[in-house]
Amino acid sequence: MKDVYILGIESSCDETSCSIVKNGTVELATSTSSQIDIHENFGGVVPEIASREHVKNITLVIEDCLKKANMKIEDVTAIAITYGPGLIGSLLVGMQAAKTLSYIYNKPLVPVHHIAGHIYANSLVEELKFPLIALVVSGGHTELIKMTDHFNFEKLGGTLDDAIGECYDKVARVMGLPYPGGPKLDKLSKEGKPTYKLPIPLNDDSYDFSFSGLKSAVINLNHNEEQKGKEINKADLAASFQKVAVTSIVSKTKKALKDYNINNLIVAGGVAANSILREALTDMCNENNIHLSIPPLKYCTDNAAMIASAGYYAYKLGRRADYHLNSLSTTALN
Amino acid sequence: MRVLYIDTSSDYLYSGIVVDDKLVSSIKKKYEKDLSKEALPKIIELFDEANITPKDLDKIIVVNGPGSFTGIRIGITIAKTIAWALNINITPISGLTAMAISSNTNTYKMPLIDARRGYVYGAIYDKDNNKVIEDSHIELKELLDKSKDLDIEVITNNDLEINIKKESYDPDILKIVKHFETSDGINPHLVNPIYLKKTEAEEKAGL
Ligand SMILES: Nc1ncnc2c1ncn2[C@@H]1O[C@H](COP(=O)(O)OP(=O)(O)O)[C@@H](O)[C@H]1O
Ligand SMILES: [Mg+2]
Repeated sequence: MKDVYILGIESSCDETSCSIVKNGTVELATSTSSQIDIHENFGGVVPEIASREHVKNITLVIEDCLKKANMKIEDVTAIAITYGPGLIGSLLVGMQAAKTLSYIYNKPLVPVHHIAGHIYANSLVEELKFPLIALVVSGGHTELIKMTDHFNFEKLGGTLDDAIGECYDKVARVMGLPYPGGPKLDKLSKEGKPTYKLPIPLNDDSYDFSFSGLKSAVINLNHNEEQKGKEINKADLAASFQKVAVTSIVSKTKKALKDYNINNLIVAGGVAANSILREALTDMCNENNIHLSIPPLKYCTDNAAMIASAGYYAYKLGRRADYHLNSLSTTALN
Repeated sequence: MRVLYIDTSSDYLYSGIVVDDKLVSSIKKKYEKDLSKEALPKIIELFDEANITPKDLDKIIVVNGPGSFTGIRIGITIAKTIAWALNINITPISGLTAMAISSNTNTYKMPLIDARRGYVYGAIYDKDNNKVIEDSHIELKELLDKSKDLDIEVITNNDLEINIKKESYDPDILKIVKHFETSDGINPHLVNPIYLKKTEAEEKAGL
């Protein structure tokens, strides 16, 4: 069988990234220009600034990726592009570049949903085994998805309010941790113990999540202690928050695996980098004989390798777009 | 000499291909929200109509601002990607200069783009299209003040309240391209929008 090389482009938020992946599973090279340092000054991603950075960097990351892979675009089979969801001004830059490359080099254009990308990041470690449950935990998403085959997604449940990453970042902010606070809160919690009592979120029969109540509880607790002039133990608060949040995610995930009698779990999205979540999922899967796949940290946050990997399976399924392809800020997983 | 011209700095796509001093294909069409969807397909049609391929190009001229931030990025990204792929240069030009060049008036020229809340993107050029006042993001009142002693004509497609002679902007793509005939252009990696305006977040943070 002929090898398939997919060049992927991702620009949905604050990373401009280009990658070449062979047969959906082997990353040959990735070049990413991250804007974290720039947005740190503003306590969050500023969409207009993100767009401005993408346009500066787009041709540079493409060139750098090809150089690293020691390839020319002529050698590539197809071009995969994140069409959404994400920041529209950011998405548009990657989209114009991808469409233009597809035209100039006469290569098929393969549209990829950003969350499909996060899920397929796991293919860069090992091929997906079906049926599986995908737990997507990121800055914008908290979802349980059932897959019986490639690109066959059935959403079982999701967050009713804040996404888990968003919740981490907001809680971290209240605790005075700089943006993005999720990873810093994770680190800080290791020095603490879960001594604060916080409400358990949405402990019901559904596969849905709710984190806004937990977030408010942490904010109120922080505020009340301050009013009383008491010093809050930040490490303990971080540990308490993590325990409740992670327990909720793990219990709903376990329920989905049990109810559908599925023994493959894959985790996707930036919050998959969270150390407590990784630990708790590993324990749960060991106890229940479930095969667990969590991508390494570099594939958890936004990157083009995951888009190129998803792009390979989409390409195999015959998914194509013409030059009218447009970016979408919101769009259902497909 | 084969040149591709792209201007997406307003709601319009203005684009054309010039081959040996002739405009062989062109488009001037309003797209607004659909620009990101339609820009590349329309540019491809221009190549087909001109009966050349991108590989035949010697240079790209692209408007790098001022105007719609998103619009400018669409045109620039297409231009950068084509030029990078084909290893040719880009001449980035001001949309205000393009407006001045397209006008045939024998007076001074004041191209204006509405920037809202009393502000404009504007400049002043003499009849030979030399800059008298640089492109700026400026209060309309202030710019009019600076020009009150000049015999001047305003070029704009926006509804601005001004009591001096006005003409609307209809790009003369051939004239614009010829104006920049001798420009060698620059490496596409170096081509970036000139917004003339910081983002709100930067202004607030005093950056
Ligand atoms: N170790 C961690 N613990 C908790 N959250 C984390 C950790 N590492 C990253 N995150 C969170 O992951 C999110 C970013 O993930 P990403 O997949 O890029 O999100 P999206 O693409 O939906 O914006 C941020 O909210 C960040 O705080
Ligand atoms: Mg993401």
